[in-house]
Amino acid sequence: MIGTAGNGEAIIRLENIVKHFGGATALSGASLTVVRGSIHGLVGQNGAGKSTLIKLIAGLHRPDEGRLEIDGRSYDRLTPHLAEELGIHFIHQDRLLVPTFTVGEALFLGRELRFPGTPFLDRGAMRRKSAEVLERYFGLALPHSALIADLSAAEKQIVQITRALIANPKVLVFDEPTAALVRREADLLFQLIRRLSSEGVTILYISHYLGEIADLCDTVTVLRNGRDVATLPVAKTSAAEIGALMVNRDIGELYPKPAVTPGEVLLEVDNLALADRFDAVSFSLRKGEVLGFTGLVGSGAKEVVRTLFGLDRPTGGTVSVKGETVFCADPAAATDRHLALVPEDRRRDGVALDLSVTENTTLASLDRFSHGLIDRGAERRQTEDLVRRLQIKTDSVDALVKTLSGGNQQKVAIAKWLSRQSEIYLLDEPTTGVDIAAKVEIYRLIGELAERGAVVLVLSSDIEELLGVTDRVLVFFRGRVTRQFISSETSPDEVLADVTGAYETLRHAG
Amino acid sequence: MSRAPMRRFAMLVDTPYIPASALEVEAQKAFEPPGAGPTFGRRFATLALRGGALAVFLGVLIVFSVTAPFFLTVGNIGNVLGQSAIAGVLAIGLTIVIIAGGSNVVTGGIDLSLAANMGLSAAVYATLAQAGHGDGVAIAGALGTGLAIGAVNAAAVTLAGIVPLLATLAVMNVVAGLELVLTQNTVVPASGAFLSTLSAGGPFGIPVLAYLLLGFTLAVAAIVQYTPLGLRLYAVGAFPDAARAAGLPVKTFVAGSFLASGLCGGLAGILSVSYLSGSTTGAGDMLLPVVVTALLGTVFSRRLVPTITGTLLSVLFVGFLINGFQLLNISSTLVSGVQGLLILLVVSATTVLGRKENV
Repeated sequence: MIGTAGNGEAIIRLENIVKHFGGATALSGASLTVVRGSIHGLVGQNGAGKSTLIKLIAGLHRPDEGRLEIDGRSYDRLTPHLAEELGIHFIHQDRLLVPTFTVGEALFLGRELRFPGTPFLDRGAMRRKSAEVLERYFGLALPHSALIADLSAAEKQIVQITRALIANPKVLVFDEPTAALVRREADLLFQLIRRLSSEGVTILYISHYLGEIADLCDTVTVLRNGRDVATLPVAKTSAAEIGALMVNRDIGELYPKPAVTPGEVLLEVDNLALADRFDAVSFSLRKGEVLGFTGLVGSGAKEVVRTLFGLDRPTGGTVSVKGETVFCADPAAATDRHLALVPEDRRRDGVALDLSVTENTTLASLDRFSHGLIDRGAERRQTEDLVRRLQIKTDSVDALVKTLSGGNQQKVAIAKWLSRQSEIYLLDEPTTGVDIAAKVEIYRLIGELAERGAVVLVLSSDIEELLGVTDRVLVFFRGRVTRQFISSETSPDEVLADVTGAYETLRHAG
Repeated sequence: MSRAPMRRFAMLVDTPYIPASALEVEAQKAFEPPGAGPTFGRRFATLALRGGALAVFLGVLIVFSVTAPFFLTVGNIGNVLGQSAIAGVLAIGLTIVIIAGGSNVVTGGIDLSLAANMGLSAAVYATLAQAGHGDGVAIAGALGTGLAIGAVNAAAVTLAGIVPLLATLAVMNVVAGLELVLTQNTVVPASGAFLSTLSAGGPFGIPVLAYLLLGFTLAVAAIVQYTPLGLRLYAVGAFPDAARAAGLPVKTFVAGSFLASGLCGGLAGILSVSYLSGSTTGAGDMLLPVVVTALLGTVFSRRLVPTITGTLLSVLFVGFLINGFQLLNISSTLVSGVQGLLILLVVSATTVLGRKENV
């Protein structure tokens, strides 16, 4: 595999790149050298800086410090246009195709074919040529009149990849290209990537799936916390080793988790299924237990949470609360069953930014405070009590929620459900976008909820965090629970290996 | 891409580990996101809407030609074309803006200043002609006025980043005010060889304006529907991110579309001076019919997008409707009611279809 690396000459070289966005540091001295003709993998957890690095190569961001070289020349002001002229093409994660265009139009947008000697589009030629390349590369035949909007996600992805191919690229950068593909299509893609590589195209391949990296790449660079921690030959490295490099180990007593003796079973989920999303999900939770969910985007973990809260209708299985089978058709029914959801996008779905702390806190439980008119006094007493208990830092209970810090906004989102006396808390990525101190307070709060006899289900892609705050963790992979871990008896890299499907590789190796 | 029936595993919590081999088959199947695959319902509805629109158009023509004796004569059809020329040129200008800005009625492309633009351009033309300047100067004055208004719109939208709806609304007020200042709210008569040529009859007893409308439509349609420039215009409006990823300068296209529509406003101004033998007040009344026409035009395209030829059909549809009502001695005030009804139907139909597409 190493043989394809050719003469070892670097086509892309990034050196000690530093990039800040506002106060946040996305990259703190990252380096990457991609050798001409290689298939180079780039891995790292969410927030490790992968997408920032890619955007620098695409000319969408400029580094604050560091050096960017392409083909041996240094570029200070790389633009998307220039990157394309240098032969670097990107297959983005989002499918950037105009829905009302035909396949031919979408493929050739920006470099359209014309009738020779005229300014007019030759749609016939674009259609023939696109049919030909789709057939040649993917064996895919689409109807002539098909619009992009009519295609499946996989077909759109294939059209997008084909768009890059007809530009005769020197370097192709794939950003999570298989997320929308089924296995057969992914295999076709891998064959194609190998063929392109043998034709001399350099490939930079970003993926969460360590199995894919092991199958496909000859070299892999691991990013962690905005730095490259290692660049290794894939043939001599196991997926578990790569996984271990991706996670932090040196986190101390971040997680103030109290020991709680579990009480009676509060929530029981049996064989829950949602067509094409997840299947055969079963678990039960006792009072005082904290359960973690984790998985890649599309693994089904988030969808299970949505379904429990009545945002999606399950297509099979049962949910029981306190031994009674319930059917939550909508969030209103779910909240009546004492379920509470703290959504990931806090500023959009979790709190009403332009309302006060009091108004937010009592939003879900206004019935308790109104007898025709709202009893402002009772509302206020309840809020002051919760602000004290949750240690929400605010000037007053009348302050607008948008004036609070992210962590305190999150606490208000949780206070809303405490005020409703909810017992089953579904927390979706509860610590995104809050600083480390606020994270610790949210962890403490999760512990407190458990101590008070509530059931907490935490969905998080931060595995160290998840192991720190939960009793058990369920790993979702492609719509199924593939493994359960006892949080205190496992390590982040072991969980990560399952999250990324590394076992597929282990199987290949064994 | 048929889905094999899913095998079920008893995935109890107590089961500590499912060996990889047991999951082999399942792990190979990624789940498809929803909305994938051809949506036959949507395509059918699109066809029905488009077919329905054409059927209504033909139905109206048939009813009028049966009930109104002169309706289907060459002279009358020529008249309708000629009378529709001004609204047609404006609607085509608006169509270009809608294509480049996207057809979302609130945040997408729209140029509300077009009718006022026509009014001011006409006033500039008539004032210059009255002051003794030649046709060339007057034409340049009118087109220059239109272009300048387009440039202000373009700057407000692309440089200041104001939504087109608000930016052009503000410009509309300014332009209408300038017209009042220039004409003191009076009729400015204008005449000359050029204007007489425009307002005369042409071959086959069909007015010159009718030929102008057809020629103008053909030229713009050729550019918008059949050149790479036009294709890129559509990409910019329908999915700016995709256009950007294809290396297209999105803002330049949007700015260009406002310049083009400004020019259309100037041209419509010249046509209106020739049609009315001078500049008159009340150009603003043209706005709503023009917006209706441009939006209505989308139902005449296969993909339910604004097209130049679709807009022409829509202009003619409205023109024939007014004409038929006149021939039948039905109050033409009913026409605006009918127009309102049509816009409601079209916008709700395309919105419902669009929603299905986006889910």
